Amino acid sequence: MTLGYIDYLIMALYFVFVLGIGWKLKRKVSTSEDFLTSGRSVPVWITSLAFVATNLGAQEMIGMCASGAKYGMMTSHFYWVGAIPAMLFVGVFMMPFYYGSRARSVPEYLKLRFDEKTRTFNAVSFAVMTVFSSGISMYALGLLFELALGWSFTASVLVSAAIVLVYTYLGGLTSAIYNEVLQFFLIVLGSAPLAILAVNKAGGWEGMAARLPEVMTRSWKYSGSAAANPMGIEIFGLVMGLGFVLSFGYWCTNFLVVQRALAANSMLAARNTPLVAAFPKMFIPFIVIVPGIAAIALMEMGTGYSLPVKGDSFNYDLALTTLMAQFYPSGLLGVGLTALMASFMSGMAGNVTAFNTVWTYDIYQGHIRKGAPDAHYLWVGRMTTVVGVGLSIGAAYLATLYNNIMDLLQLVFGFVNAPLFATFLLGMFWKRSTGHGAFTGLLAGTGAAALTHGLTLAEGKGAWLANLHEFPSTMAQNFWIAIFAWTACFLVTILVSLLSRPKPVAELQNLVYGVTAIPREEGARWYERPRTLAIVIGIICILLNVWFW
Amino acid sequence: MDDLRVTSGMFFSLLGLILCGMGILAPGTRAPLTEANVNLYTGIAMLVFGGVMLWLARRRA
Repeated sequence: MTLGYIDYLIMALYFVFVLGIGWKLKRKVSTSEDFLTSGRSVPVWITSLAFVATNLGAQEMIGMCASGAKYGMMTSHFYWVGAIPAMLFVGVFMMPFYYGSRARSVPEYLKLRFDEKTRTFNAVSFAVMTVFSSGISMYALGLLFELALGWSFTASVLVSAAIVLVYTYLGGLTSAIYNEVLQFFLIVLGSAPLAILAVNKAGGWEGMAARLPEVMTRSWKYSGSAAANPMGIEIFGLVMGLGFVLSFGYWCTNFLVVQRALAANSMLAARNTPLVAAFPKMFIPFIVIVPGIAAIALMEMGTGYSLPVKGDSFNYDLALTTLMAQFYPSGLLGVGLTALMASFMSGMAGNVTAFNTVWTYDIYQGHIRKGAPDAHYLWVGRMTTVVGVGLSIGAAYLATLYNNIMDLLQLVFGFVNAPLFATFLLGMFWKRSTGHGAFTGLLAGTGAAALTHGLTLAEGKGAWLANLHEFPSTMAQNFWIAIFAWTACFLVTILVSLLSRPKPVAELQNLVYGVTAIPREEGARWYERPRTLAIVIGIICILLNVWFW
Repeated sequence: MDDLRVTSGMFFSLLGLILCGMGILAPGTRAPLTEANVNLYTGIAMLVFGGVMLWLARRRA
C-alpha cells in the first residue's frame, strides 16, 4: 500500500493538533499534582472517553481484529463478559474508596489500607510492567508499519514516541487525557467506515453468516465445551477466569485505567467515569472484531481479498491493515492509518502517565527522597516522563532482539496480576484483613499461578515441573491459572489476616466498607446516578449477548 | 484550546474539509474493493461531527 500527499497531510494535521493540545495545557501545570493527577479537575465526559481510549491501544485494535478473523464473534467475550461487568463494579462499588481515600495512585491506596510492603510490591511490579507493555506495543506498531508501508522500524518507533513524549512532558496527565479523547474520536471515525464497507461488501451480517461456519458468527452457542469452539475454552473457565478474575483484576485494580477516574472533578464524576465509558466500550466490537470476521467472508467470496500467509496458517495480525488497503482510497487511507497511530499513542501515553505517577509518588517519594518541596517532585515527574519513554524504546528494541524474553516477561506479569483482585476485594470489603495477610496472599497467589503453569500443558507451553493436565488451548490455561491464583490469594489472605493483628478501625475510615460514608446519590439527576447508569448498561449488555447468542 | 469541544470540533472540521475536497476534486478515486466515493461521504460525516462539537462549545459559552 502506498500513501499519497493527502494522506501525509492528514497525518501532519493530527500531529499539529496533539502537540498543540500539549502546548496549550502547559500553563496549567504548576504543581506535581497538576502534572501527575490533573489536580482532580477533569469533567466526566472527558475522563470517561479517556478511560476507554487508554485501553484501546494499537495492540488491542490489531489483536482484536486478528482474533475476529481467527475465532469469530466469540471474541466479543473479551468485551461483553471480560470488561463491562467489571467496569460497572468498579464504578458503583469500588470508586468511593479509591476516590474517597484521596490516594494519588492505586499502590498508594494499598499503603493507606495495608502497609508499605504491599504497596511497594504492587508499585514495582506495575512500574516494570507498564514500561514493557508500552515497549511491546511500540514494537508491534513499528513492525506493522514496516510490513504494510515499508517505513523504517526505527523511524516509526522514534517519531511516535517523540510525539507522545513532547505532549505528556508539556501538559502531564491532563494533556494525555485530553489527547486520548481526540484520539478516541479519531479511532472511531477512522475505523467505522472500514466496518461498514467490509460488512456491506460481504453481503451484510446475514450474508456473512450464510458464508461462514456458524461458530464464527455466534458468541455463546459453542462455548459449552472446549472441543466445540476454536478458542478451546469452556463456559466455567470463560466466566470465572476471564469474566471474573482477569477482567476484575484489570478494570478494578490496574492504575492505567483507574488513574483516569481519579482525575475526575468530583466523587460523582469519578464513579461515573467507568460507567459512561462502558457505553462506547460495548460497541467497540463492531468496529474492531466484525471487520476481522468480514475479512474471512470476503476470502470465501473470492473478491480478490486474501489474508497474507505466514507459515502454515494466515497472518491474522495483518487483517486490519490489509482490509484498509483494499477498502480505503487515498484520503480515507490517511485517516485510517492516522487512527491506528492515534490508538498506539493513546495506549502509550496511558502507560507513560501511570508509570510517572507510580514512580514519583510510590517509589521515589516513598523510598528515595521523602519530604522534599513539591517543585522537586514536579521536576522528578517531568524527568520520569523522559526516562519512561526512553526505557519503552529500549524495551521495543529488546523485543526485536529477544522475542522469547518478552513472552517470558508477559507470562510473569500474568502471574503477578492474576491474584490482585482478591487483595482489593478483601481490602475494601472486609475490615479485618491485614497488611501481612494481603502481602502473603499476593505472594501465594503469584506462586499458585506459576505452579499451575508448571504443572499443566497447553499447545506445548508450560509443564516445566510435571505434566498433570493438558488444556485444549493456552487461552484456557490462562483462565485456569487466574482462577487458581485468585483462590490461593483469597484463602491465604483470610487465613494470615485472622492470625495477625488488625489495623485499628479509626485508621480505616474512607478506605473500607462499613467504616466509610457511602456517597449519596439523591442530589444527582436520575441519569447521573451510578446505580441507574449501571442497570441501563447491564440491560443493554445482556441484550447484545442474547442477540449474538 | 481549554475547551476540548473547540479543539476536536476544529480538528474534525478540517479533516472533513480535506476529505470532501478530495471527494469533489478527485471523485474517481477508488480503493480496489470500493464502489462509492467514500472520501466524500466520510468527509461529510466528519464535517457534521466537527460542526456539532463546535455548536456544543458555543452553546455552553
